[in-house]
Amino acid sequence: MSVEKLPPEQRPPASAADAAARLAKIVDAAERAAAGVIDEAEAQAQRQLDEAHKRADRVVAERLRELADELDPPGRSEPRGAHLRPVDPAPEDDGEAPPPRSASAGARLLATQMAVSGAGRAEIEDRLREGFAIDDTSELLDAILGPEE
Amino acid sequence: MNLADLQALERRCLMQTYRRAPVEFVRGEGALLWDSEGKQYLDFLAGISVCSVGHCNPAVVAAVREQAGRLMHVSNLFYSEPMVRLAERLSGSSLGGKVFLANSGTEANECAIKIARKKAHIRGVENPEIVSFERDFHGRTYGALAATPKLAENPALGPMLPGFRAVPFDHAGALREAVYENTAAVMIEPIQGESGIYPLSEETLLAARRACDETGALLIFDEIQTGVGRTGSLWAYEQTPVRPDLLTSAKALGGGLPIGACIAAGELGEVLEAGDHGSTFAGGAVVSAAALAVLELVDDPALLRRVRELGAGLRDSLLAIDGVVEVRGRGLMLGVGLSEGIDAAEVAAALLREGLIVNVPEPGTLRLLPPLTVDSAQVERAVALIAAALLSYAAA
Repeated sequence: MSVEKLPPEQRPPASAADAAARLAKIVDAAERAAAGVIDEAEAQAQRQLDEAHKRADRVVAERLRELADELDPPGRSEPRGAHLRPVDPAPEDDGEAPPPRSASAGARLLATQMAVSGAGRAEIEDRLREGFAIDDTSELLDAILGPEE
Repeated sequence: MNLADLQALERRCLMQTYRRAPVEFVRGEGALLWDSEGKQYLDFLAGISVCSVGHCNPAVVAAVREQAGRLMHVSNLFYSEPMVRLAERLSGSSLGGKVFLANSGTEANECAIKIARKKAHIRGVENPEIVSFERDFHGRTYGALAATPKLAENPALGPMLPGFRAVPFDHAGALREAVYENTAAVMIEPIQGESGIYPLSEETLLAARRACDETGALLIFDEIQTGVGRTGSLWAYEQTPVRPDLLTSAKALGGGLPIGACIAAGELGEVLEAGDHGSTFAGGAVVSAAALAVLELVDDPALLRRVRELGAGLRDSLLAIDGVVEVRGRGLMLGVGLSEGIDAAEVAAALLREGLIVNVPEPGTLRLLPPLTVDSAQVERAVALIAAALLSYAAA
């Protein structure tokens, strides 16, 4: 095949300047291709990282919900214990009925649900102190959130 | 058409069931509204906790535009993907059971009432009762109305649906005594909204859960106002020591479009069967797409943390104002109790003139429900306007 029939980019360089220009073009194209590959790889890694974060969040949230369900099973169909009799409410008498669903179970569920909803250790601690008068919340919080570092 | 003409036409053409403030709004963006004369307002009511992601949130508008251009409505005789995806997201973010979609909060509560009654019948109760608290607001359709003691007292609307009883608000002892084997459900607003922002105590919530567990009654949380991030968690129950059996949502869920949802825990999602309940419009493609966009924005730990932080800051700032005696609520759902003798309606009217929208759910209380996307400068501006209005009131 004669040189004239070759496409311009495949013809031999006419001079050193031409050769340098073509080399520069090749290097530039290679650099752009490499940058594209790097960008794509970074984007892919970021997507995978985001997915991994979401999966981890879902696993943690699901585990915490399961824990909450164990503490407070939803949709219990069968009544348990003695039935109360209907009476007109006495506005002033609050009674002192002991809670069989212990306050500690309530505190644990509160802490679990707040953790699931994204509340921080300090926020949960404040609510436990305010709502349940628990002075030392560390054991409960450690059990749900893991030990404080 | 100017405002006076609009008011005259409204009087002539619409049933006079509302007392409207003399303002016509024509545009909204974020926490801001503009009236027909170009005046700007800071909206700390958000359409009664509906526009929680701000007016005309771009993500919601885009979702609505996209879906409206493709498919709007097919009825519940067929499938459409946005509806099913929305149910999946609502269930996964809360009680984990099945979902019934509706068009409003009161309809969501009707669904919950039906589930509770049918469940009670299944366990052999002939005349099931539903217990709610005095001053609760659950809606205006007849079932929800019957669970709304104050409105149910209106003799002109009688006879009311039977099988409802009310106990004094936040009275754990009265609640324990009212719940018995015939009780189908205890229906609760974890924070009463329409009556003036009154949170239920943890003692009462625990008593309600216990009473339901003992008798087989269901615990229903009406989260129509408290849900979708309003209190700083996606659902208010997440900041309480109990989990409900049924949860109802509406208002903010649609981002400005009408929607309701009843979410069940566990097997309760199986109680209603074909023919028990239904709706022509419910689960429509456009509103479902809007709700998915809203949940994508709100179900975000960073946003919810910000709601809690902004709410705590707003509460502290309000408590420092002369004339404010208490601030009730959680997150960005706050009731501002004013000193005795201050007419909250007059203060709210003055604030409207100054460009801040709040409302007055009861004498002596201002209710603040700003968009969850409000910024700290807007919160500071609202506090400054309230302080100035109370100062002017005291000086007058």
